[in-house]
Amino acid sequence: MKKDSTLLRLRKANPYPLPATVDEGDLLARITAQPPDSRLRRRVTPLHRRGLVLGVSFAVMALLASTAYALSTWVFSSAVKPDVTKAEYRRAQDELRLPPGYSWPVLYVDPNSVTSPGAGGGHAVLISQNAWECYWAKAIRNGNTAAQRRAHTELSTLLANNILVAPIGAPEDWRPPNPPDEPYAVFAHDGGLNWIRQTYELAATGNPRRLRQSCRANSPR
Amino acid sequence: MGMTLELERRSAEERFHTVFAHLGAVTSYARRRGSKDADALAAEVMTIAWRRLADVPRDDALPWLYATARNLVLAEARLSAPGAGASVHEPERVAATAEPPELDPALAQALRSLSALDRETLLLVAWEDLTPSQAAKALGINPTAFRVRLLRARRRLRASLDRFAADGRPPAALTQLDVEGT
Repeated sequence: MKKDSTLLRLRKANPYPLPATVDEGDLLARITAQPPDSRLRRRVTPLHRRGLVLGVSFAVMALLASTAYALSTWVFSSAVKPDVTKAEYRRAQDELRLPPGYSWPVLYVDPNSVTSPGAGGGHAVLISQNAWECYWAKAIRNGNTAAQRRAHTELSTLLANNILVAPIGAPEDWRPPNPPDEPYAVFAHDGGLNWIRQTYELAATGNPRRLRQSCRANSPR
Repeated sequence: MGMTLELERRSAEERFHTVFAHLGAVTSYARRRGSKDADALAAEVMTIAWRRLADVPRDDALPWLYATARNLVLAEARLSAPGAGASVHEPERVAATAEPPELDPALAQALRSLSALDRETLLLVAWEDLTPSQAAKALGINPTAFRVRLLRARRRLRASLDRFAADGRPPAALTQLDVEGT
């Protein structure tokens, strides 16, 4: 195509062959001073991020499956095998509560995978949290005030006792130096926990939109 | 919440920086298409890109920017065309007013004889140096259709140039035979 004489002639006739030199001035600053595209916001809400973290966690578990034994010997000396993770998950079920009508889903862990200690308990915490959120949203829809109060109390207790926040700048696989006996999930220090607290406060004062959104976004598929 | 919004904004700004890096290319595009105020038009393109950042392809923003710039050039030409307010259903007439300046007469006449879409097909490749895939995206057609269009446009341009060279007079108005420009 480039040898085509017509195109060559056209190329040579380019009235401005060089890229324009532009004086950007404060154009960039003026443009970005405006609100960004609101559609981008939906993609990075803490709710979606939490779902994403769960998804990535399981993807990593699957990825590790092929070389699990070697990795557990050579690199991840603190990694645990599936039977430990499942035992943690079962043990956590004795310490956490689910709303009436809800049951614990089966935790599938690839037989040759390894994961961090405590991951089974952390998974149970998030299952319980999501179940109570959905129960609360349903209670609001049905006008069941007693159930609403109970869900709010359960979730407040869960946040207080079973959710930890990693220090600023901590690695993604951060674990508390002295892990608590009760099951726990670790949140990144990115404001996500505060956002969840606000979600519950809003729901308690008659605005359940974010609560319903969280229920939908984090429900086990 | 505030921290989350701040992170979102920072993420959007980082992404937009890669888009904004094409400001010079978009300005050149506007000049080559005869915009009366290429700098302002390019700034408008960038503002639209910021407001619609979710629509701007992450892998290659340039075709999207050129498509937006083209729409603005056409709108600008429509406003400044004789009897402004010309129907939006007359893209050929409008596009004829937004033609590049300072070309040799034969080439200018030959380009003018093409449909707006044929002309844009050629110029995206010859002047903007886009690959056929990029140019296809800028025109909103698939790459195969673009290659066919490019082949035909080249032939038409060559025929017009040959005729102009032989007769020394402007080529026939091929646009009448090529309403849709395919």
